[in-house]
Formats: sequence, structure tokens, C-alpha cells
Amino acid sequence: MTDATPDTVAPDKAFVAERSRSSQIWNRFIGIVRLSPTAAVGLFIIGVFAVLAVLAPWIMPHDPVAAYTDRVLQAPSAEHWFGTDGNGMDVFSRVIYGARFGFGIAIPAVLLSLVIGVPVGLIAGYRGGMLDEVLMRFFDGLRVFPSIILALAVVAATGQSLINVVLVLGLLDAPVFARVVRAEVLALRSSNFVESAVAAGNPTWRILFVHLLPNAIQGAMAQTAVRAAWAVRISATLAFLGVGIQAPTPEWGAMIRQGAEFMVSGQWWVALYPGLALILMVFGLNLFGDGLRDLMDPRRRTAS
Amino acid sequence: MSFQRFIFRRTLMVLPLLIGVVFITFMLVRIGGLDPVGRLAGPTATQAEFDMIRDNLGLDQPLWQQFGIYLGNVVQGDLGESWLSNRPVITDIKERAMVSLELLFWGVGLGALIGIPVGLRAAFRPNGKFDQVTRVLSLLGFSIPTYWLALVMIFVFFYLLGWAPPAIGRMSLLVTPPDAITGSYLIDGLLTANWQAAHSAASHLIMPVICLAIVSAAPIIKQTRAIAIEVLSSDTVRYAHACGLPERQVRKLVLRNSAVPVLTFVGTEVTGLVGTMSLIEYVFAWGGLGQYGLNAIISGDFTAVQGYVLVLALFSVMVFIVIDIVVHLIEPRSELN
Repeated sequence: MTDATPDTVAPDKAFVAERSRSSQIWNRFIGIVRLSPTAAVGLFIIGVFAVLAVLAPWIMPHDPVAAYTDRVLQAPSAEHWFGTDGNGMDVFSRVIYGARFGFGIAIPAVLLSLVIGVPVGLIAGYRGGMLDEVLMRFFDGLRVFPSIILALAVVAATGQSLINVVLVLGLLDAPVFARVVRAEVLALRSSNFVESAVAAGNPTWRILFVHLLPNAIQGAMAQTAVRAAWAVRISATLAFLGVGIQAPTPEWGAMIRQGAEFMVSGQWWVALYPGLALILMVFGLNLFGDGLRDLMDPRRRTAS
Repeated sequence: MSFQRFIFRRTLMVLPLLIGVVFITFMLVRIGGLDPVGRLAGPTATQAEFDMIRDNLGLDQPLWQQFGIYLGNVVQGDLGESWLSNRPVITDIKERAMVSLELLFWGVGLGALIGIPVGLRAAFRPNGKFDQVTRVLSLLGFSIPTYWLALVMIFVFFYLLGWAPPAIGRMSLLVTPPDAITGSYLIDGLLTANWQAAHSAASHLIMPVICLAIVSAAPIIKQTRAIAIEVLSSDTVRYAHACGLPERQVRKLVLRNSAVPVLTFVGTEVTGLVGTMSLIEYVFAWGGLGQYGLNAIISGDFTAVQGYVLVLALFSVMVFIVIDIVVHLIEPRSELN
């Protein structure tokens, strides 16, 4: 943990803190690669997609929404690597641009789930009693519904926009984090450090967020990558059904929807490539997430 | 505890859950701030007509009273009327339930048939070659979008190879459907010796069933492996090893001790698969409950959506109960908690 750096002479305090923190992150990273090669592969895949998403405007050979009406449904060629779709748009450029939607939906959705789920789990676990009971029953009730259908129905009911998709996915996934954090808090609630914090007169919010949170958050953090994979998958499913994101938008699910009709007439490239990109990104997140869970809790390697 | 009492108590226990489920479906439509009145009244309606429709629908009453009415209707089997088909939602659902159940049965059945042996084999040699390969494969299975897989399968097996029939419905349009006995074309065809229908139904079933089996096998492999590993390191199995029982008998013991948790897991997985299956139905134009539900969602037929979501949830609850009963039969020690 404490990374003494002997070559720095009389270092500034802030500098040391900064230095050790960054080397801590680096050590973590190396640790991931060494302990779990599959997680490293996942991280690499995510990294490639992140680069594609950020640099999309410079990598894309064509405008993703420019319709070349004279080149409709062309097979993959040197000019159009992944062919063109029914509107004459370049599938390769659209697939690259689609990475932006993957991250653009998954990151805020998971953050929202954390922001809602973690405090709910903290309070429910610490307070217990009626509140906890009611919340857990409510979450149990939610679990009875298939998540895809629930997400679809809520997005369709509350209005179809990109922001709504993010909000709904974030809200629906919050119970996952709440459960994990609650379980940790239940185990920590009567430990010495919490009781001494109470005895020292800390207000409840301080106990929750200063004393319990850092100790209870690890399990939730381990879930983030897998939940991001879920968010990417579900948002693409919504777009495939035409709910939320609409067709000419270069989002992978929406592109598969456009390509669906051409699958029975032989123009496979319209739907195939966005699907491959989607699989690869979700696979990368799942690989990384799976490894992350193992690293944070080796016992879970055997359980789910 | 006698068996009847067990079933009775288990069924009673779900009552609060059921009320919660009905409440969630009730709220599903309310949260949207959707205005069914505007939809029914049309653009030329006067304020008076507007108010009349509002009162007729009972929307002038407080929310809890509306929920009470809704709950009462649901208990009586009244799920309202679909705006799309202009028929009671419950009738629409009844017609299609068997169609979906058939697909679900074969799909999950095949998925379990693949998933359980593979998971067990992986568990017997954790971190061996077989285990590592299946681990990556099952993660891949988690990552494949069902609808995309279905489309690729249609392209390969229908367009390229010509092996599969066109992905429209459950049977060729040129074949007369068999007399309805169970609602499953395959079984009805076999029962009434209508071989042509049975053959057509079977050939239409293959692709969606394989698609569903692939998607359902992935989590089953993962969970079976985890459960079997836990059982392998339990005292029972270690004692059996220590006593020098032959490997075959030890494995039998592992199987027996894994059965209950694996079964429970497959049951809970059905809930999620019902959602996945609706996408398969959608792509294959299956005409079942899943396709009905998705169409209702897409076209904003909210009474039908409500009914569909509620029926799915009730189905899950029912599966949980059935599983608990089966588990109780296998393992009478298991208690309610």
C-alpha cells in the first residue's frame, strides 16, 4: 500500500500523495494483468472501443449519416469496408461512431445506478427495520419482471429519447447495487470501528458516508463492468425494437434493425457488422467484469 | 409438515408479492403521465366530452381507489381491452400463451440438456482446459444479442443453405393446422396423426429453439459449475473420498447434491428468458405472447402492455412455487423461510 519513493528528496506533501496514488493505480493495473489475463483481454477490448469512440471523427472514412443515394446496399469493398446500408450510408463509419452510443449510455446509466443504489443500500442496511423490509420486498417484486421487458415498457411509457433510456436503465439497475451494499453494511454494522464512531458522537450521515461507505463500496464497484455490459446490451435491444433511439442514428441496435430485412435477401453486411461490434464490446466488458469480481473477492470465482 | 399444508403455505406466502406485482404494473402506465382520455376522445372532443370519458374511466378518483378497482378487476381476470385488437386482453393472452410455452419448453429444455453436463464436466477439473474454454464460451453466450443471433441463423440456414423454412410463424402457410388439442402444433399434429403438420411445425421450431437454447445454456453452464464446485468441496463429498469410494460413486453423490440448487437456478432463469424469448418470437414472427407483448409496447397499446407484463410476472411467481414444491418432493428437509 504505502509506496515509499526513496529517490525524492524532501518532497512536497501533496506531491507524495499524488505520486503514491497514481502508482497505486498502476500497481492495481499490473495486478489485474498478472492475476487475471482474461480481465486484461477484456480491458484491452474496452480500451480499443474507447479509442474508437473518442477518435471517431478522425477514423471514420465517411460521414456516418451521409446517404450516398447512388451506392445503396453495396457489398463490402475497398471504398466501403463494411458495405453500405439501405440508405447508402457507410456501414464501417457507422459502426465506429456507434461506440459513442455504447459508452454514452452505459457510463451515465451505471453512474446513476451507483448514485441511487449505494445510498439506498447504505441507509437500508444501517437503519434496518420497516424501511429495509419494504425496500427489499419492493426489489424482490421488481425481480419477478424480465428486465428487458420492464425497461422496454418504462421507456415506451415515459417517452422515447436518449436521455430517457439512460434514466430508465440507471433506475432499473440501482437495486443491484443497493443489494450488494446493503449486504456489506449488514455485516459491518456492529463491528468495532462503527460502534466507536457512534460512541465518538459522529452524526449518522458521517458514519454512513465517511466510515461505512469506503468499506462497503468494493462489492458494488466490482459489479460496475458487468452492469455496464448489461446497459450496452439492453440499450441496443431497445434500439433494435425501435424504442428510444430511432433508425438513421448510427447506434448498433438501430443498425441491426435496419439490416434485419436484408438478411433474407442476402445483404448480410448491414446487420452483421454492428452486431459483431456489439458482441465484442459487451464481451470485453463481461470479461473484464468477471475478472474484476474475482480480483476483488476470490471466493466469488466459484459463486455466480 | 404435510404436503398439502406445504403447498398451501407456500402459495399463501406469495400473496404480498402478488399485490406488489400488480401495483408495479399499475404504476407502469401511470408514471408515464400518459393520457388515455386524449387518445379515446380524439382531437375534436369538447371539454364536456373529455370530462365524461374521464369519469367513465374512473380517472377522477384518487390513485389508491383506482388501484383498488384495478386490483379487483385483475382478480376477476379482467385485464381491460386492447386498443389494437379491440378485444379483451385476457382473450388475446390466452390464445397465445401455449404458443410461447411450447417454444420456452423446448428451448430451455435443450439449454439445460447442454448446460448441466457441460457445467458439471467443467467443475470436475476447475481451471483445466475444458473449464477455461467453456468459461470464455459461456461469457460469449452472455454477450450475444439474441435477435442478432436469430437473424444470422436465418441468413445462414434459410438464405445461404436453404435448410430451414422461411422464418414466418410456426408452420408453413400451405399446411392445414391440426385440430387444436393442446395448442402446440407439433403435439397436436402427432396426436391427430397429421404427419404433414407435425413435420412442418417441427422444422419451424428448430431454429428458434436452438437460438433460445444457446442463450439459456450460458448462464446454466456457469451456475452449474459454481454449484458443483461448492458441492465437491463439501464435507459430504470429502468424506466419501476419504472413505475410498470409487470416483463413479462420488460423482453420483455430487450429482445428487447439486440437483436441488441447479433446478432452482434453472427455474429462476426462466423469468429472464421469457424476455429474451420475446425477441426471438419477434424475429421469427412466432405469433406468441412475446411477439404480442413487444408489438403492444412498440405501438403504445398500454392496456395490452400492462396485461402482458402482469402475466409474465405471474408466470414467474408460478414457476417459483412449482420449483419449491418439486424441491420439497426431492428434499423434504427443505423448509420455508
